[in-house]
Amino acid sequence: MNWTQSINKGLKKVSVGIALAISITGVVQSAELGEPEKEELKFGFIKLTDMAPIAIAYENGYFEDEGLYVTIESQANWKVLLNGVIDGSLDGAHMLAGQPIAATMGYGTKANIITPFSMDLNGNAITVSNDTWKKMKPNIPKMADGRPVHPIKADSLKPVIEEYKEAGKPFKMGMVFPVSTHNYELRYWLAAGGIHPGYYAPHKGDTSGQIDAEALLSVTPPPQMPSTMEAGTIEGYCVGEPWNQQAVFKNIGVPVVTDYEIWKNNPEKVFGITEAFATKYPNTTIRLTRALIRAAKWLDDNNNGNRPAAVKILSQSNYVGADYEVIANSMTGTFEYEKGDKRAVPDFNVFFRYNATYPYYSDAIWYLTQMRRWGQISEDKSDQWYKDLAAKVYRPDIYEKAAKSLIADKIISASEFPDFAKETGYKPPQQHFIDDIFYDGSKPNAYLEKFAIGLKKGDKL
Amino acid sequence: MSLTAATINRLSVNEKMMKALKSVFNKITNALLLPVVGIAIFLALWSITAQSIHTSLGEFPGPNAVVKQFYSLYDEHTAEREKATAFYERQEVRNAKKLEKNPDYVVKTRAYTGKETFVDQILTSLVTVTCGFLLAAIIAIPLGIWMGLSVKLNSALNPIVQIFKPVSPLAWLPLVTMLVSAVYVSDDPMVSKSFLTSLITVSLCSLWPMVINTSIGVSSIDSDLLNVSKVLRLPTFTNIKKIVLPASIPMIFTGMRLSFGVAWMVLIAAEMLAQNPGLGKFVWDEFQNGSSESLARIMAAVVVIGFIGFLLDRIMLLLQRKVSWDKSSASV
Amino acid sequence: MTTQNSEVNTEITTENVFLNISRIDMEFPTPNGSFTALKEVDLQINKGEFISLIGHSGCGKSTVLNIVAGIYQATKGGVLLKNKEVNEPGPERAVVFQNHSLLPWLTSYQNVELAVDQVFSKKMSKTEKKDWIEHNLKLVHMDHAMHKRPDEISGGMKQRVGIARALAMQPEVLLMDEPFGALDALTRAHMQDSLMDIQKELNNTVIMITHDVDEAVLLSDRIIMMTNGPEATIGEILEVNLPHPRDRLALAKDPEYNRLRSEVLTFLYEKQRKVEDIKDKKPAVKAEAMTIVEDDIKEA
Repeated sequence: MNWTQSINKGLKKVSVGIALAISITGVVQSAELGEPEKEELKFGFIKLTDMAPIAIAYENGYFEDEGLYVTIESQANWKVLLNGVIDGSLDGAHMLAGQPIAATMGYGTKANIITPFSMDLNGNAITVSNDTWKKMKPNIPKMADGRPVHPIKADSLKPVIEEYKEAGKPFKMGMVFPVSTHNYELRYWLAAGGIHPGYYAPHKGDTSGQIDAEALLSVTPPPQMPSTMEAGTIEGYCVGEPWNQQAVFKNIGVPVVTDYEIWKNNPEKVFGITEAFATKYPNTTIRLTRALIRAAKWLDDNNNGNRPAAVKILSQSNYVGADYEVIANSMTGTFEYEKGDKRAVPDFNVFFRYNATYPYYSDAIWYLTQMRRWGQISEDKSDQWYKDLAAKVYRPDIYEKAAKSLIADKIISASEFPDFAKETGYKPPQQHFIDDIFYDGSKPNAYLEKFAIGLKKGDKL
Repeated sequence: MSLTAATINRLSVNEKMMKALKSVFNKITNALLLPVVGIAIFLALWSITAQSIHTSLGEFPGPNAVVKQFYSLYDEHTAEREKATAFYERQEVRNAKKLEKNPDYVVKTRAYTGKETFVDQILTSLVTVTCGFLLAAIIAIPLGIWMGLSVKLNSALNPIVQIFKPVSPLAWLPLVTMLVSAVYVSDDPMVSKSFLTSLITVSLCSLWPMVINTSIGVSSIDSDLLNVSKVLRLPTFTNIKKIVLPASIPMIFTGMRLSFGVAWMVLIAAEMLAQNPGLGKFVWDEFQNGSSESLARIMAAVVVIGFIGFLLDRIMLLLQRKVSWDKSSASV
Repeated sequence: MTTQNSEVNTEITTENVFLNISRIDMEFPTPNGSFTALKEVDLQINKGEFISLIGHSGCGKSTVLNIVAGIYQATKGGVLLKNKEVNEPGPERAVVFQNHSLLPWLTSYQNVELAVDQVFSKKMSKTEKKDWIEHNLKLVHMDHAMHKRPDEISGGMKQRVGIARALAMQPEVLLMDEPFGALDALTRAHMQDSLMDIQKELNNTVIMITHDVDEAVLLSDRIIMMTNGPEATIGEILEVNLPHPRDRLALAKDPEYNRLRSEVLTFLYEKQRKVEDIKDKKPAVKAEAMTIVEDDIKEA
């Protein structure tokens, strides 16, 4: 029932003047934006601190402000979560950036998943077991005060891996999902240090990603990372927070590098919904995007001043549920590496600054390049193919509508958003990768040629 | 002479009193004191061992920590209820506004969207286990009766029953989940898929003890009783209602008690694995949370799960005593 | 009663056989081949006649009874009741089982009611049924405990209820399989007296299996003595022409009674002397009579 209809109906009953008065006062808040078509929604998440925008949108009442009644439910692992969104038991979810892309592409379960909202930048780290850390440490240059120089490169891990190889033992590491940021970040870091993380060959039915691997990567759900490493099944892992800080707290491992150091301000999670949902419920889609944008902004407001309050919410057992101190460690602008080595990383978790919530095509394309680099995309694709797929999955158009209505409602000022008139969806070429390689999202094939380890044009396993 | 007799008499009276006292004392000891002593020793041992076990989540929770968690879980529950009240108030205001804006708006009150508290999870589990169990009973008892009455059907189905009986719920779960997703498609579902998945898994696992016990109960009815039925030429349905069912009630109930126990265990496992709401999910969530309180909360859940399992068994027992003519079959 | 008696007379004079057990054979399949329990059992019974079957255990008495009841089907030959073939159980051939076979979850009244409801479902009104049930329980002197369940009454009382249930069906033939076998001697005597009273009143056609020679002589018009199995058959038939009503104390000194008694005993223990401990191959093995002291107390 939108407002024009309500005017028409009102005309029949009362005088024009009163009807107009009602319609004007009633519509101020949601100019142009209709009521949500679907009001009761269920969103899934994985217990990671970067689900925060969803929790905050709920707890601060942003969803309710949009007339949305949202239930939030933690999921066992990324696969269960994705299936939930596909089969409709979840209306939307906190997703790995690679998930909507891979699903739309048909890598794994085929389904058209889109994202109107990017949830955060950074927020992951690589942690190794105490034992591995002991062996790595001598290879790392020291600062004057004796602490290791950051960023720590995988070069220092290489001798450890050689040692394993000589002893005939596999060196195993965990990541959270084959198309997860963590997988690509861990691979990027390892490869930058000359360690081959292995190829995928889905066309041959090989989805283990361990072809030619020097370090064997396998999937473990985030919350189980610390206990899996404690059990000795893996020697290290790449995961989001609080599971790296948890390792420090539990004294079972040492985070060696954050993804901020691997690729400064890299895009992390996205909010995924099915394309069918967005088509069927356009107002609901815009409204939930509005709520999430507001939540993200709140998280970064006052120069991270709201973070302690956010951490308190996240530590509730129905959200992330880890201890306050553990979550606070990374969420409040610091990061603890080796026990006691706490360093300031103000941008470890970015939710809104640097246009973090805008779904850039170039971000999607970066994930696609990594999928190609490691063989998940088994053959060459044109630059146009990359761009088309990115445009299919990443939906800045929905974001723009949500943002503009927020601007119109004077909830957030236009200066906080990209200039929509000029925005192309492609970030200017980015540097600040751990291996100093430039990334230009508009030239994916050229980018792939720059890597020493990884599939290039014409390569096929 | 009389004196000695009186003495003897008195002695024997004393003896009798002593005996009576002793038997009362024994009863008290057996019924109260020994369990209390047992529990006390258990708590002490638990307390001592807990202190010496250090996990990566801190000390293993002792009885104190668990009791503390019960309080905090209850506090969380009341806090959540308050939030729910506030939620409904906000919704009312919002609905009123909508109505003002659009007189045709049909006011709809949506259920509270907040988290399920421990108490909610317990209730969810209880409802699921009861529904799953009832579904199993509705299938198993008629099937068991039929199998008990027909030797041919029994031989035909027995291998199937024997093969499915030992299947773990964890094996059924993925199949049930996919099946429910595929078959149960509705825009406005009456019950959630996860509820249905748990329910069917519970039913599948608790079906077999009931089928087996019912069919054995029916097939082992005293042939004289069946002859009575034959002499009276009771029609099949009357025969089942008047003779077969009452005669096999003790065995059916034994099967039902076994099944209810199985159902409860299966449900917790299914909820844990499938992340379906309930106590199992509570345990799994807490394990995943890995907070310093998680272990104590899990332990609190363990105590509750055990206690509820025990209560369910007692309820079935009471029911059996009430319904069954053969009181001896309804022993602990 | 008088009409019934006159009918009996007519039947006898017209030689119309009321119940005809016609040359039956019974074979049971066993893992070692078939076992012939009965061979050429042939017996004609008149209406109102009281017949006892006596013989050692395993001689197939119960098999004969079960065939008449329709629970077993004879391998050869058959049973005709009023010229109609018997091939399934039915209430016109009511059975009193050795172990009373009362439904343990029903009271005495309800046990009889089950039979009455079934047999007279349309023929009687509710109150008529109630009267009829109570009448039959009164007949066996169980009216005082009719709302008690089987586990609350003694063995003798249970057997009385079992008889009441059978009588309430108004059967053409009453079949009794060692009805008093599980009772102690004193209770058994009571039951026999009751049965004689009932029989005086109703003049039923009865076939009763018994192990007890005194019981057979006391109650029967004819005693059918069976040979030992396998291939058991009728050995001798003894007519008991003692006048009714019979009194056990008076009969104890009666020479005719004692003659009949010794004839049965002679048959059993000389002519058909049974070597014990032969493996009993008959499938349905009945428990031997046992003495239950509590029954004594309860009955007293």
